[in-house]
Amino acid sequence: MLQTPTEHFEAASTLAVVVSSHEPLLFLSEEQRVIAASASFCRAFAIDPATVSGKCLSELGNGEWAMPKLASLLRATASGSAQIEAYEIDLERPNQTARNLVVNARTLDDGDRDHVRLLLAVTDVTDERAAARLKDDLIREKAILLQEVQHRVANSLQIIASVLMQSARRVQSEEARGQLRNAHNRVMSIAALQRQLSTASGETVELRTYFIQLSQSLGASMIDDPDRLSILVKSDDTTVSAGVSVSLGLIVTELVINALKHAFPDQPTGQIVIDYHSSGKDWTLSVADNGVGMPLGGDAPKAGLGTGIVEALAKNLSGTVAATDANPGTIVTISHRENSDSRDGLPQA
Amino acid sequence: MNNGKAVVLVVEDSTIIRMGAVDLVLSAGYEALEANDAEEAIRILESRNDVDLVFTDVQMPGTMDGIKLSHYIRDRWPPVQLIVASGEAILEESSLPTGSKFFSKPYDERTIIETMALLMLKDV
Repeated sequence: MLQTPTEHFEAASTLAVVVSSHEPLLFLSEEQRVIAASASFCRAFAIDPATVSGKCLSELGNGEWAMPKLASLLRATASGSAQIEAYEIDLERPNQTARNLVVNARTLDDGDRDHVRLLLAVTDVTDERAAARLKDDLIREKAILLQEVQHRVANSLQIIASVLMQSARRVQSEEARGQLRNAHNRVMSIAALQRQLSTASGETVELRTYFIQLSQSLGASMIDDPDRLSILVKSDDTTVSAGVSVSLGLIVTELVINALKHAFPDQPTGQIVIDYHSSGKDWTLSVADNGVGMPLGGDAPKAGLGTGIVEALAKNLSGTVAATDANPGTIVTISHRENSDSRDGLPQA
Repeated sequence: MNNGKAVVLVVEDSTIIRMGAVDLVLSAGYEALEANDAEEAIRILESRNDVDLVFTDVQMPGTMDGIKLSHYIRDRWPPVQLIVASGEAILEESSLPTGSKFFSKPYDERTIIETMALLMLKDV
């Protein structure tokens, strides 16, 4: 018996759901004819709702929906061999800029296996893509700007370092020369931090690497015979904010300069050890030497600039400074304990 | 070599940094020449044949930066030793001619002097 093709009617409620869908939606037959289109679809893509019913997808509007790739993906979806998920296409229309679309297609499963129908959801992501591109551009620009700033800082530090070294070479007084060299070392310790920051990915500084750079820089400018005097860094894996690392770096710089100047007047060999370790919010930084030792108590010399700098910086970090006899040598320890801190009633961030 | 003194050409557009570099070269006991950019450096290299080492900045005005200059020098005057300094913290080592030394700014003067001495030794 011959079966004459009969018109298939969709439930009115199904059509109503499609038409009222907030998301641009097309309800298609297996042959990719439009059974219904949502009002949002017609609005978004400037298609007269009165003209859509029964039309082929490829005939919609001015034929801009006749995209071979889309048609073949819909065929594959209808046959059940594939499902379109978040497939990206560009909708090209004359005299209009292309729109970036994300399409999702699936067959409608309502128990009727004889009539394959497709639901095609279309999202216009042009604005989101443009915003993402703009953001990428801004990030790139910011990175370039940051690099430029770092470059300028490095050059400025080079100018200061050059001037200080030229002055040191010209000045007659041995004491003044020493002071200029110390100033140069302080500039170089800031430069080491700057370098560390510009190569780090975030805003934090890994202390061990930074202290190693610092000690290399100080050693290179202050130690004449590396076989006689050496600087060793023992530090855990702590990372700190750039602000904290400036203070820690300058403290280390002052203490190392001091030890190199005073601890080893006639010693055949000597070593300075920089140690930093932390536990929770508590930390201890120490710079120890195995030199002649420091006269303590009544014999202690009047505190110099370096001592003042160390004390001021330690106070900034809510730390206390203590110098003790290391037998042999001297150990200066800056320690920070969180408990003592809260009693001080420090302002909270 | 000039009167037994090695000759170092300093290429740097910042006057104060150039002054410092020239002072450094002189204090190390070498003769110093100076150029403001790559073009001037090449003119000097073409006009005399006693330059042993070029100490150059990277970012400079003109068509050639320090990296291009160092390659140009390596090609045209292979025996000339090269030290390159830049405000950039990291520079692709591969972007420099082989045998040249790179230092980020601010450089440690003693390290530069030691490197110069080492390169001059190679030169002999």
